[in-house]
Amino acid sequence: MTVYETDVPGVGKKFEVEIGGDERLVVLLHHDGKRELFHKADPDSDAERLFTLSGQLAREVGAILQGAYFQPVETDEVEVPLGEAIIEWVDVDEGAPMVDQTLGDARLRQRTGASVIAIQRGSDTVPNPGPDETITGGDILVTLGTREELAELESLVEADDS
Amino acid sequence: MAALLLEVGIALTAVALAGTLANRVGLSVIPAYIVVGILVGPNPPQSVLGLPLTLVGDREFITVLAELGIVFLLFFLGLEFSVDQLLRDRRRISAAGGVDFAINFGLGAAIGVAFGWTLLETLFLAGVVYISSSAVVTKSLIETGWIANAESGPILGTLVFEDILIAVYLALLAAVAGGGDLESAAVSVGTAFLFLGALTAVAWYGSNWLDRFFRTSSDELFLLRVVGVTTLVAGAALALGVSEAVAAFFLGTGISQTSHVERIEHIVAPARDIFAAVFFFSIGLTTDVTLLADVAVLLAVAVVLTTLGKFVSGTLSGRFYDLGRRRSLRVGLGLVPRGEFSLVIATLAAGIGTGRLASVLPAFTVGYVLVMSVLGSLLIQRADDITDALGASGG
Repeated sequence: MTVYETDVPGVGKKFEVEIGGDERLVVLLHHDGKRELFHKADPDSDAERLFTLSGQLAREVGAILQGAYFQPVETDEVEVPLGEAIIEWVDVDEGAPMVDQTLGDARLRQRTGASVIAIQRGSDTVPNPGPDETITGGDILVTLGTREELAELESLVEADDS
Repeated sequence: MAALLLEVGIALTAVALAGTLANRVGLSVIPAYIVVGILVGPNPPQSVLGLPLTLVGDREFITVLAELGIVFLLFFLGLEFSVDQLLRDRRRISAAGGVDFAINFGLGAAIGVAFGWTLLETLFLAGVVYISSSAVVTKSLIETGWIANAESGPILGTLVFEDILIAVYLALLAAVAGGGDLESAAVSVGTAFLFLGALTAVAWYGSNWLDRFFRTSSDELFLLRVVGVTTLVAGAALALGVSEAVAAFFLGTGISQTSHVERIEHIVAPARDIFAAVFFFSIGLTTDVTLLADVAVLLAVAVVLTTLGKFVSGTLSGRFYDLGRRRSLRVGLGLVPRGEFSLVIATLAAGIGTGRLASVLPAFTVGYVLVMSVLGSLLIQRADDITDALGASGG
Protein backbone atom coordinates (compact mmCIF):
# COMPACT_ATOMS: atom_id res chain seq x y z
CA MET A 1 0.00 0.00 0.00
CA THR A 2 1.35 3.43 -0.95
CA VAL A 3 0.15 6.64 0.66
CA TYR A 4 0.80 9.98 -1.02
CA GLU A 5 0.78 12.95 1.34
CA THR A 6 0.43 16.54 0.14
CA ASP A 7 0.10 19.85 1.99
CA VAL A 8 -2.89 21.90 0.91
CA PRO A 9 -2.17 25.49 2.00
CA GLY A 10 -5.00 27.03 3.95
CA VAL A 11 -6.87 23.75 4.18
CA GLY A 12 -4.78 21.00 5.71
CA LYS A 13 -3.36 17.77 4.36
CA LYS A 14 -4.36 15.44 1.56
CA PHE A 15 -3.69 11.71 1.71
CA GLU A 16 -4.07 9.55 -1.36
CA VAL A 17 -4.18 5.84 -0.54
CA GLU A 18 -3.85 2.99 -3.03
CA ILE A 19 -6.58 0.53 -2.09
CA GLY A 20 -5.98 -2.38 -4.40
CA GLY A 21 -5.84 -2.37 -8.17
CA ASP A 22 -5.91 1.15 -9.53
CA GLU A 23 -8.44 2.40 -7.02
CA ARG A 24 -7.52 5.34 -4.83
CA LEU A 25 -9.05 6.65 -1.65
CA VAL A 26 -8.40 10.36 -1.10
CA VAL A 27 -8.74 11.80 2.39
CA LEU A 28 -8.71 15.57 2.81
CA LEU A 29 -7.94 16.45 6.41
CA HIS A 30 -8.99 20.00 7.24
CA HIS A 31 -7.23 22.00 9.94
CA ASP A 32 -10.54 22.26 11.81
CA GLY A 33 -10.70 18.46 12.05
CA LYS A 34 -13.21 17.91 9.25
CA ARG A 35 -12.41 14.98 6.92
CA GLU A 36 -13.61 14.74 3.35
CA LEU A 37 -13.38 11.39 1.57
CA PHE A 38 -13.17 10.92 -2.18
CA HIS A 39 -12.96 7.80 -4.30
CA LYS A 40 -11.17 7.46 -7.60
CA ALA A 41 -11.70 4.39 -9.79
CA ASP A 42 -8.17 4.86 -11.15
CA PRO A 43 -5.46 7.50 -10.69
CA ASP A 44 -6.61 9.40 -13.76
CA SER A 45 -10.37 9.45 -13.27
CA ASP A 46 -12.34 12.24 -11.62
CA ALA A 47 -12.72 11.95 -7.90
CA GLU A 48 -16.17 11.25 -6.56
CA ARG A 49 -17.00 12.74 -3.18
CA LEU A 50 -18.04 9.98 -0.79
CA PHE A 51 -18.86 11.80 2.43
CA THR A 52 -17.71 14.35 4.97
CA LEU A 53 -17.07 13.59 8.63
CA SER A 54 -16.55 15.86 11.61
CA GLY A 55 -13.38 15.23 13.62
CA GLN A 56 -15.23 13.39 16.40
CA LEU A 57 -17.19 11.20 13.97
CA ALA A 58 -14.04 10.47 11.97
CA ARG A 59 -12.24 9.20 15.10
CA GLU A 60 -15.15 6.88 15.92
CA VAL A 61 -15.37 5.53 12.38
CA GLY A 62 -11.59 5.20 12.39
CA ALA A 63 -11.76 3.12 15.56
CA ILE A 64 -14.35 0.85 13.97
CA LEU A 65 -12.17 0.39 10.87
CA GLN A 66 -9.23 -0.35 13.11
CA GLY A 67 -11.23 -2.97 15.00
CA ALA A 68 -10.71 -1.23 18.33
CA TYR A 69 -14.28 -0.08 18.75
CA PHE A 70 -16.31 -3.26 18.12
CA GLN A 71 -14.33 -6.53 18.16
CA PRO A 72 -15.20 -8.74 15.20
CA VAL A 73 -16.62 -12.15 16.28
CA GLU A 74 -14.01 -14.92 16.43
CA THR A 75 -15.69 -18.14 17.57
CA ASP A 76 -12.97 -19.59 19.77
CA GLU A 77 -12.57 -16.36 21.72
CA VAL A 78 -16.18 -15.34 22.30
CA GLU A 79 -17.17 -14.53 25.84
CA VAL A 80 -20.60 -13.23 26.80
CA PRO A 81 -20.74 -11.90 30.35
CA LEU A 82 -23.65 -13.25 32.44
CA GLY A 83 -22.95 -11.97 35.92
CA GLU A 84 -20.27 -14.22 37.42
CA ALA A 85 -20.80 -16.80 34.68
CA ILE A 86 -19.61 -16.49 31.11
CA ILE A 87 -20.32 -18.41 27.93
CA GLU A 88 -17.34 -19.86 26.16
CA TRP A 89 -16.83 -21.93 23.03
CA VAL A 90 -14.54 -24.90 23.72
CA ASP A 91 -12.93 -27.11 21.05
CA VAL A 92 -12.81 -30.85 21.80
CA ASP A 93 -9.51 -32.34 20.59
CA GLU A 94 -9.61 -35.57 18.57
CA GLY A 95 -7.65 -37.44 21.24
CA ALA A 96 -9.44 -36.13 24.30
CA PRO A 97 -10.53 -38.79 26.84
CA MET A 98 -14.19 -37.76 26.60
CA VAL A 99 -14.41 -38.45 22.85
CA ASP A 100 -17.03 -41.15 22.09
CA GLN A 101 -18.46 -40.85 25.62
CA THR A 102 -21.96 -39.55 26.18
CA LEU A 103 -22.42 -36.29 28.04
CA GLY A 104 -23.88 -38.30 30.94
CA ASP A 105 -20.87 -40.63 31.14
CA ALA A 106 -18.39 -37.76 30.87
CA ARG A 107 -20.03 -36.20 33.98
CA LEU A 108 -18.74 -32.77 32.99
CA ARG A 109 -21.03 -30.77 35.28
CA GLN A 110 -20.23 -32.94 38.28
CA ARG A 111 -16.47 -32.74 37.66
CA THR A 112 -16.15 -29.03 36.75
CA GLY A 113 -19.39 -27.22 37.60
CA ALA A 114 -19.76 -25.93 34.04
CA SER A 115 -22.76 -26.80 31.85
CA VAL A 116 -22.81 -27.68 28.19
CA ILE A 117 -25.67 -25.63 26.72
CA ALA A 118 -25.15 -26.53 23.06
CA ILE A 119 -22.82 -28.47 20.79
CA GLN A 120 -21.66 -27.22 17.42
CA ARG A 121 -20.78 -30.05 15.08
CA GLY A 122 -19.69 -28.86 11.66
CA SER A 123 -22.52 -26.72 10.42
CA ASP A 124 -25.06 -28.35 12.78
CA THR A 125 -25.90 -27.11 16.22
CA VAL A 126 -27.32 -29.44 18.89
CA PRO A 127 -29.19 -27.14 21.26
CA ASN A 128 -29.62 -28.09 24.91
CA PRO A 129 -28.05 -31.58 24.47
CA GLY A 130 -29.33 -34.46 26.64
CA PRO A 131 -27.13 -36.82 28.78
CA ASP A 132 -27.15 -39.51 26.05
CA GLU A 133 -25.62 -37.19 23.40
CA THR A 134 -22.25 -38.62 22.30
CA ILE A 135 -19.27 -36.28 22.12
CA THR A 136 -17.14 -36.63 18.99
CA GLY A 137 -13.69 -35.28 18.18
CA GLY A 138 -13.80 -31.77 16.67
CA ASP A 139 -17.02 -30.81 18.44
CA ILE A 140 -17.29 -27.29 19.78
CA LEU A 141 -18.97 -27.24 23.18
CA VAL A 142 -20.89 -24.10 24.04
CA THR A 143 -20.37 -23.94 27.78
CA LEU A 144 -21.64 -21.83 30.64
CA GLY A 145 -19.79 -21.37 33.93
CA THR A 146 -17.44 -19.24 35.99
CA ARG A 147 -13.91 -18.61 34.75
CA GLU A 148 -12.50 -21.26 37.15
CA GLU A 149 -15.07 -23.87 36.11
CA LEU A 150 -14.38 -23.26 32.44
CA ALA A 151 -10.60 -23.44 32.96
CA GLU A 152 -11.14 -26.83 34.62
CA LEU A 153 -13.30 -27.99 31.70
CA GLU A 154 -10.78 -26.81 29.11
CA SER A 155 -8.12 -29.03 30.69
CA LEU A 156 -10.44 -32.04 30.13
CA VAL A 157 -11.00 -31.48 26.41
CA GLU A 158 -7.30 -31.54 25.53
CA ALA A 159 -5.80 -34.59 23.85
CA ASP A 160 -4.60 -37.15 26.39
CA ASP A 161 -1.03 -37.84 25.35
CA SER A 162 -0.07 -39.84 28.43
CA MET B 1 -19.48 55.81 22.44
CA ALA B 2 -23.00 54.73 21.56
CA ALA B 3 -22.68 55.97 17.99
CA LEU B 4 -19.33 54.21 17.57
CA LEU B 5 -20.58 50.91 18.97
CA LEU B 6 -23.63 51.14 16.74
CA GLU B 7 -21.40 51.63 13.69
CA VAL B 8 -19.25 48.63 14.59
CA GLY B 9 -22.43 46.62 15.05
CA ILE B 10 -23.82 47.70 11.68
CA ALA B 11 -20.50 47.00 9.95
CA LEU B 12 -20.09 43.49 11.38
CA THR B 13 -23.74 42.58 10.86
CA ALA B 14 -23.63 43.82 7.27
CA VAL B 15 -20.53 41.69 6.66
CA ALA B 16 -22.21 38.66 8.24
CA LEU B 17 -25.34 39.08 6.11
CA ALA B 18 -23.32 39.56 2.93
CA GLY B 19 -21.25 36.46 3.67
CA THR B 20 -24.38 34.38 4.30
CA LEU B 21 -25.92 35.55 1.06
CA ALA B 22 -22.78 34.79 -0.97
CA ASN B 23 -22.60 31.34 0.58
CA ARG B 24 -26.24 30.70 -0.28
CA VAL B 25 -25.66 31.37 -3.98
CA GLY B 26 -22.33 29.51 -4.01
CA LEU B 27 -20.03 32.46 -4.65
CA SER B 28 -16.90 33.66 -2.88
CA VAL B 29 -17.52 35.84 0.17
CA ILE B 30 -14.83 38.37 -0.80
CA PRO B 31 -16.83 40.29 -3.47
CA ALA B 32 -19.85 40.22 -1.16
CA TYR B 33 -17.91 41.91 1.67
CA ILE B 34 -16.69 44.59 -0.74
CA VAL B 35 -20.13 45.25 -2.22
CA VAL B 36 -21.77 45.59 1.18
CA GLY B 37 -18.96 48.00 2.15
CA ILE B 38 -19.74 50.12 -0.91
CA LEU B 39 -23.46 50.04 -0.06
CA VAL B 40 -23.31 51.16 3.57
CA GLY B 41 -20.21 53.35 3.17
CA PRO B 42 -19.97 57.12 2.76
CA ASN B 43 -19.54 57.02 -1.03
CA PRO B 44 -22.42 56.69 -3.52
CA PRO B 45 -24.95 55.10 -3.46
CA GLN B 46 -25.89 57.23 -0.46
CA SER B 47 -29.55 56.33 -0.40
CA VAL B 48 -31.88 53.76 -1.85
CA LEU B 49 -35.57 54.62 -2.37
CA GLY B 50 -35.19 57.57 -0.01
CA LEU B 51 -33.61 55.50 2.76
CA PRO B 52 -30.23 56.85 3.85
CA LEU B 53 -27.47 54.31 3.25
CA THR B 54 -24.47 56.09 4.74
CA LEU B 55 -24.47 53.99 7.88
CA VAL B 56 -20.77 53.44 8.48
CA GLY B 57 -18.05 56.08 8.14
CA ASP B 58 -14.44 55.41 7.20
CA ARG B 59 -13.48 55.40 10.86
CA GLU B 60 -10.09 54.86 12.40
CA PHE B 61 -11.12 51.61 14.12
CA ILE B 62 -12.07 50.14 10.76
CA THR B 63 -8.74 51.20 9.28
CA VAL B 64 -6.87 49.52 12.13
CA LEU B 65 -8.89 46.30 11.92
CA ALA B 66 -8.43 46.27 8.14
CA GLU B 67 -4.69 46.70 8.58
CA LEU B 68 -4.71 43.72 10.95
CA GLY B 69 -6.62 41.90 8.20
CA ILE B 70 -3.70 42.42 5.79
CA VAL B 71 -1.17 41.42 8.45
CA PHE B 72 -2.96 38.19 9.35
CA LEU B 73 -3.77 37.23 5.75
CA LEU B 74 -0.04 37.36 5.02
CA PHE B 75 0.88 35.78 8.36
CA PHE B 76 -1.25 32.74 7.53
CA LEU B 77 0.11 32.68 4.00
CA GLY B 78 3.58 32.38 5.53
CA LEU B 79 2.42 29.88 8.12
CA GLU B 80 0.97 27.58 5.48
CA PHE B 81 3.85 28.13 3.09
CA SER B 82 5.37 24.72 2.60
CA VAL B 83 9.11 25.09 2.11
CA ASP B 84 9.43 21.29 1.98
CA GLN B 85 6.90 20.98 -0.81
CA LEU B 86 8.59 23.76 -2.76
CA LEU B 87 11.97 22.05 -2.47
CA ARG B 88 10.68 18.55 -3.10
CA ASP B 89 8.87 19.55 -6.29
CA ARG B 90 11.01 22.55 -7.24
CA ARG B 91 11.51 21.69 -10.90
CA ARG B 92 7.83 21.46 -11.81
CA ILE B 93 6.74 24.24 -9.45
CA SER B 94 9.29 26.68 -10.83
CA ALA B 95 8.40 25.74 -14.41
CA ALA B 96 4.68 26.25 -13.80
CA GLY B 97 5.26 29.34 -11.64
CA GLY B 98 7.72 30.82 -14.13
CA VAL B 99 5.30 30.53 -17.06
CA ASP B 100 2.50 31.90 -14.88
CA PHE B 101 4.64 34.90 -13.91
CA ALA B 102 6.01 35.59 -17.39
CA ILE B 103 2.61 35.55 -19.08
CA ASN B 104 0.44 37.27 -16.49
CA PHE B 105 2.86 39.78 -14.99
CA GLY B 106 4.01 40.48 -18.55
CA LEU B 107 0.42 41.08 -19.70
CA GLY B 108 -0.16 43.46 -16.79
CA ALA B 109 3.02 45.36 -17.61
CA ALA B 110 2.03 45.55 -21.29
CA ILE B 111 -1.41 46.91 -20.39
CA GLY B 112 0.17 49.55 -18.14
CA VAL B 113 2.56 50.66 -20.86
CA ALA B 114 -0.20 50.70 -23.48
CA PHE B 115 -2.30 53.00 -21.28
CA GLY B 116 0.65 55.34 -20.74
CA TRP B 117 1.25 54.59 -17.05
CA THR B 118 4.59 55.34 -15.39
CA LEU B 119 7.02 52.55 -14.49
CA LEU B 120 6.02 52.41 -10.81
CA GLU B 121 2.30 52.52 -11.65
CA THR B 122 2.78 49.79 -14.23
CA LEU B 123 4.58 47.58 -11.70
CA PHE B 124 1.66 47.92 -9.28
CA LEU B 125 -0.87 47.18 -12.03
CA ALA B 126 1.09 44.11 -13.15
CA GLY B 127 1.13 42.82 -9.55
CA VAL B 128 -2.62 43.31 -9.17
CA VAL B 129 -3.51 41.32 -12.29
CA TYR B 130 -0.78 38.72 -11.79
CA ILE B 131 -1.63 37.13 -8.49
CA SER B 132 -4.43 34.58 -8.18
CA SER B 133 -6.60 34.41 -5.10
CA SER B 134 -5.51 31.53 -2.85
CA ALA B 135 -8.76 31.85 -0.90
CA VAL B 136 -11.14 31.68 -3.85
CA VAL B 137 -9.12 29.08 -5.78
CA THR B 138 -8.72 26.70 -2.83
CA LYS B 139 -12.40 26.98 -1.90
CA SER B 140 -13.41 26.19 -5.49
CA LEU B 141 -11.00 23.23 -5.61
CA ILE B 142 -12.71 21.69 -2.60
CA GLU B 143 -16.24 22.38 -3.81
CA THR B 144 -15.64 20.78 -7.20
CA GLY B 145 -13.66 17.87 -5.78
CA TRP B 146 -10.71 18.80 -8.02
CA ILE B 147 -8.62 18.83 -4.86
CA ALA B 148 -8.52 15.03 -5.06
CA ASN B 149 -7.60 15.03 -8.77
CA ALA B 150 -4.30 15.40 -10.58
CA GLU B 151 -5.06 19.00 -11.62
CA SER B 152 -4.69 20.14 -8.01
CA GLY B 153 -0.92 19.56 -8.33
CA PRO B 154 -0.09 22.37 -10.77
CA ILE B 155 -2.77 24.65 -9.29
CA LEU B 156 -1.42 24.41 -5.74
CA GLY B 157 2.16 24.48 -7.03
CA THR B 158 1.51 27.72 -8.89
CA LEU B 159 -0.08 29.24 -5.79
CA VAL B 160 3.00 28.31 -3.73
CA PHE B 161 5.25 29.95 -6.31
CA GLU B 162 3.06 33.07 -6.37
CA ASP B 163 3.19 33.25 -2.56
CA ILE B 164 6.95 33.48 -2.40
CA LEU B 165 7.08 35.82 -5.37
CA ILE B 166 4.50 38.19 -3.94
CA ALA B 167 6.49 38.38 -0.68
CA VAL B 168 9.61 39.48 -2.56
CA TYR B 169 7.57 41.77 -4.81
CA LEU B 170 5.83 43.52 -1.91
CA ALA B 171 9.10 43.95 -0.04
CA LEU B 172 10.78 45.54 -3.06
CA LEU B 173 7.83 47.67 -4.10
CA ALA B 174 7.14 48.98 -0.60
CA ALA B 175 10.79 49.96 -0.26
CA VAL B 176 11.10 51.52 -3.72
CA ALA B 177 7.78 53.33 -3.65
CA GLY B 178 8.57 54.93 -0.31
CA GLY B 179 11.80 56.62 -1.35
CA GLY B 180 12.13 59.38 -3.91
CA ASP B 181 15.57 59.28 -5.56
CA LEU B 182 17.75 56.28 -6.28
CA GLU B 183 19.87 56.66 -3.15
CA SER B 184 17.00 56.72 -0.67
CA ALA B 185 15.37 53.84 -2.56
CA ALA B 186 18.58 51.83 -2.17
CA VAL B 187 18.66 52.64 1.56
CA SER B 188 15.06 51.53 2.08
CA VAL B 189 15.57 48.34 0.07
CA GLY B 190 18.63 47.69 2.25
CA THR B 191 16.64 48.32 5.44
CA ALA B 192 13.92 45.99 4.25
CA PHE B 193 16.32 43.16 3.55
CA LEU B 194 18.19 43.69 6.84
CA PHE B 195 14.95 43.61 8.80
CA LEU B 196 13.58 40.57 6.96
CA GLY B 197 16.96 38.86 7.14
CA ALA B 198 17.09 39.39 10.90
CA LEU B 199 13.52 38.14 11.23
CA THR B 200 14.30 35.03 9.19
CA ALA B 201 17.46 34.36 11.20
CA VAL B 202 15.56 34.61 14.49
CA ALA B 203 12.81 32.39 13.13
CA TRP B 204 15.18 29.70 11.80
CA TYR B 205 17.85 29.62 14.46
CA GLY B 206 15.57 30.54 17.32
CA SER B 207 12.81 28.07 16.51
CA ASN B 208 13.40 26.27 19.82
CA TRP B 209 13.05 29.54 21.64
CA LEU B 210 9.92 30.47 19.63
CA ASP B 211 8.52 27.06 20.38
CA ARG B 212 8.97 27.60 24.13
CA PHE B 213 7.66 31.15 23.96
CA PHE B 214 4.32 30.07 22.51
CA ARG B 215 3.96 26.98 24.70
CA THR B 216 1.09 27.36 27.14
CA SER B 217 -1.87 25.21 28.11
CA SER B 218 -4.25 28.16 27.99
CA ASP B 219 -5.87 28.85 24.61
CA GLU B 220 -6.53 32.40 25.68
CA LEU B 221 -2.87 33.14 26.43
CA PHE B 222 -1.82 31.38 23.24
CA LEU B 223 -4.11 33.55 21.11
CA LEU B 224 -2.89 36.71 22.83
CA ARG B 225 0.76 35.80 22.35
CA VAL B 226 0.39 35.03 18.63
CA VAL B 227 -1.73 38.11 17.88
CA GLY B 228 0.50 40.28 20.06
CA VAL B 229 3.83 39.22 18.59
CA THR B 230 2.55 39.30 15.00
CA THR B 231 1.09 42.78 15.36
CA LEU B 232 4.22 44.04 17.13
CA VAL B 233 6.54 42.70 14.42
CA ALA B 234 4.29 44.15 11.69
CA GLY B 235 4.16 47.50 13.45
CA ALA B 236 7.93 47.60 13.95
CA ALA B 237 8.41 46.77 10.27
CA LEU B 238 6.11 49.57 9.16
CA ALA B 239 7.84 52.04 11.48
CA LEU B 240 11.13 51.17 9.72
CA GLY B 241 9.54 51.62 6.31
CA VAL B 242 9.38 47.88 5.64
CA SER B 243 6.16 46.28 4.34
CA GLU B 244 4.18 45.05 7.38
CA ALA B 245 2.57 42.42 5.18
CA VAL B 246 5.90 40.91 4.20
CA ALA B 247 7.16 41.00 7.79
CA ALA B 248 4.05 39.07 8.82
CA PHE B 249 4.65 36.59 6.00
CA PHE B 250 8.22 35.94 7.17
CA LEU B 251 7.13 35.63 10.79
CA GLY B 252 4.55 33.09 9.64
CA THR B 253 7.12 30.98 7.76
CA GLY B 254 9.36 31.12 10.83
CA ILE B 255 6.60 29.87 13.12
CA SER B 256 5.69 27.16 10.62
CA GLN B 257 8.93 25.46 11.75
CA THR B 258 7.58 25.09 15.30
CA SER B 259 5.06 22.58 16.60
CA HIS B 260 2.34 25.22 16.98
CA VAL B 261 1.04 25.35 13.41
CA GLU B 262 -2.03 23.19 13.98
CA ARG B 263 -2.97 25.11 17.09
CA ILE B 264 -2.63 28.46 15.35
CA GLU B 265 -4.88 27.19 12.56
CA HIS B 266 -7.41 26.27 15.21
CA ILE B 267 -7.26 29.18 17.58
CA VAL B 268 -5.98 32.17 15.62
CA ALA B 269 -7.82 31.54 12.32
CA PRO B 270 -11.13 32.92 13.68
CA ALA B 271 -9.36 36.19 14.57
CA ARG B 272 -7.86 36.28 11.09
CA ASP B 273 -11.34 35.75 9.58
CA ILE B 274 -12.80 38.75 11.41
CA PHE B 275 -9.86 41.03 10.54
CA ALA B 276 -9.84 39.91 6.90
CA ALA B 277 -13.61 40.39 6.53
CA VAL B 278 -13.27 43.92 7.88
CA PHE B 279 -10.38 44.51 5.46
CA PHE B 280 -12.55 43.59 2.45
CA PHE B 281 -15.41 45.60 3.91
CA SER B 282 -13.18 48.65 4.36
CA ILE B 283 -12.05 48.36 0.74
CA GLY B 284 -15.71 48.76 -0.13
CA LEU B 285 -16.10 51.70 2.27
CA THR B 286 -13.31 53.65 0.61
CA THR B 287 -14.37 52.82 -2.94
CA ASP B 288 -16.04 55.50 -4.98
CA VAL B 289 -17.94 53.54 -7.62
CA THR B 290 -18.34 56.62 -9.78
CA LEU B 291 -14.59 56.36 -10.43
CA LEU B 292 -15.20 52.98 -12.05
CA ALA B 293 -16.68 54.74 -15.07
CA ASP B 294 -13.30 56.38 -15.70
CA VAL B 295 -11.51 53.04 -15.71
CA ALA B 296 -14.15 51.10 -17.65
CA VAL B 297 -12.02 50.66 -20.77
CA LEU B 298 -8.93 49.65 -18.82
CA LEU B 299 -11.07 47.28 -16.75
CA ALA B 300 -12.60 45.63 -19.81
CA VAL B 301 -9.22 45.20 -21.49
CA ALA B 302 -7.63 43.82 -18.32
CA VAL B 303 -10.47 41.38 -17.60
CA VAL B 304 -10.42 39.90 -21.09
CA LEU B 305 -6.63 39.73 -21.50
CA THR B 306 -5.74 38.48 -18.02
CA THR B 307 -8.49 35.86 -18.01
CA LEU B 308 -7.02 34.52 -21.24
CA GLY B 309 -3.52 34.92 -19.77
CA LYS B 310 -4.21 32.70 -16.77
CA PHE B 311 -6.10 30.26 -18.95
CA VAL B 312 -3.11 29.89 -21.29
CA SER B 313 -0.42 29.81 -18.59
CA GLY B 314 -2.42 27.35 -16.48
CA THR B 315 -3.02 25.06 -19.44
CA LEU B 316 0.73 25.09 -20.17
CA SER B 317 1.47 24.34 -16.49
CA GLY B 318 -0.77 21.31 -16.74
CA ARG B 319 1.53 20.04 -19.49
CA PHE B 320 4.54 20.33 -17.15
CA TYR B 321 2.71 17.93 -14.83
CA ASP B 322 1.97 15.54 -17.73
CA LEU B 323 -1.76 16.09 -17.48
CA GLY B 324 -4.18 15.30 -20.28
CA ARG B 325 -5.88 18.02 -22.27
CA ARG B 326 -9.01 18.32 -20.15
CA ARG B 327 -7.14 18.49 -16.85
CA SER B 328 -4.69 21.04 -18.24
CA LEU B 329 -7.59 23.24 -19.33
CA ARG B 330 -8.99 22.91 -15.82
CA VAL B 331 -5.70 24.20 -14.39
CA GLY B 332 -6.09 27.23 -16.64
CA LEU B 333 -9.66 27.87 -15.51
CA GLY B 334 -8.80 27.16 -11.88
CA LEU B 335 -6.25 29.95 -11.61
CA VAL B 336 -8.46 32.73 -13.03
CA PRO B 337 -9.93 34.05 -9.72
CA ARG B 338 -8.15 37.10 -8.29
CA GLY B 339 -8.88 38.41 -4.84
CA GLU B 340 -7.29 39.24 -1.53
CA PHE B 341 -3.69 39.78 -2.65
CA SER B 342 -4.63 42.10 -5.52
CA LEU B 343 -6.44 44.17 -2.91
CA VAL B 344 -3.44 44.09 -0.56
CA ILE B 345 -1.26 45.45 -3.38
CA ALA B 346 -3.81 48.17 -4.21
CA THR B 347 -4.00 49.17 -0.53
CA LEU B 348 -0.23 49.48 -0.44
CA ALA B 349 -0.40 51.63 -3.59
CA ALA B 350 -3.10 53.87 -2.12
CA GLY B 351 -1.11 54.26 1.10
CA ILE B 352 2.16 55.42 -0.40
CA GLY B 353 1.43 56.62 -3.88
CA THR B 354 0.14 59.80 -5.40
CA GLY B 355 -1.72 60.45 -8.65
CA ARG B 356 -2.95 57.28 -10.32
CA LEU B 357 -1.74 55.07 -7.47
CA ALA B 358 -3.96 56.88 -4.97
CA SER B 359 -7.22 56.97 -6.93
CA VAL B 360 -7.31 55.13 -10.27
CA LEU B 361 -5.48 51.96 -9.25
CA PRO B 362 -7.58 51.24 -6.11
CA ALA B 363 -10.83 51.85 -8.00
CA PHE B 364 -9.61 49.70 -10.87
CA THR B 365 -8.54 46.92 -8.47
CA VAL B 366 -11.91 46.84 -6.71
CA GLY B 367 -13.73 46.59 -10.04
CA TYR B 368 -11.24 44.03 -11.26
CA VAL B 369 -11.45 41.82 -8.17
CA LEU B 370 -15.26 42.01 -8.13
CA VAL B 371 -15.36 40.79 -11.73
CA MET B 372 -12.52 38.26 -11.52
CA SER B 373 -13.54 36.58 -8.26
CA VAL B 374 -17.08 36.03 -9.52
CA LEU B 375 -16.06 35.21 -13.10
CA GLY B 376 -13.34 32.85 -11.84
CA SER B 377 -15.74 30.96 -9.57
CA LEU B 378 -18.26 30.66 -12.39
CA LEU B 379 -15.65 29.42 -14.88
CA ILE B 380 -14.63 26.69 -12.41
CA GLN B 381 -18.23 25.69 -11.75
CA ARG B 382 -18.91 25.49 -15.51
CA ALA B 383 -15.54 23.91 -16.34
CA ASP B 384 -17.03 20.72 -17.77
CA ASP B 385 -19.16 22.64 -20.27
CA ILE B 386 -16.14 24.68 -21.31
CA THR B 387 -13.78 21.75 -21.75
CA ASP B 388 -16.49 19.84 -23.64
CA ALA B 389 -16.98 22.82 -25.92
CA LEU B 390 -13.24 22.87 -26.53
CA GLY B 391 -13.46 19.23 -27.52
CA ALA B 392 -11.48 17.83 -24.61
CA SER B 393 -13.82 15.37 -22.96
CA GLY B 394 -11.34 12.58 -22.25
CA GLY B 395 -8.39 12.41 -19.81
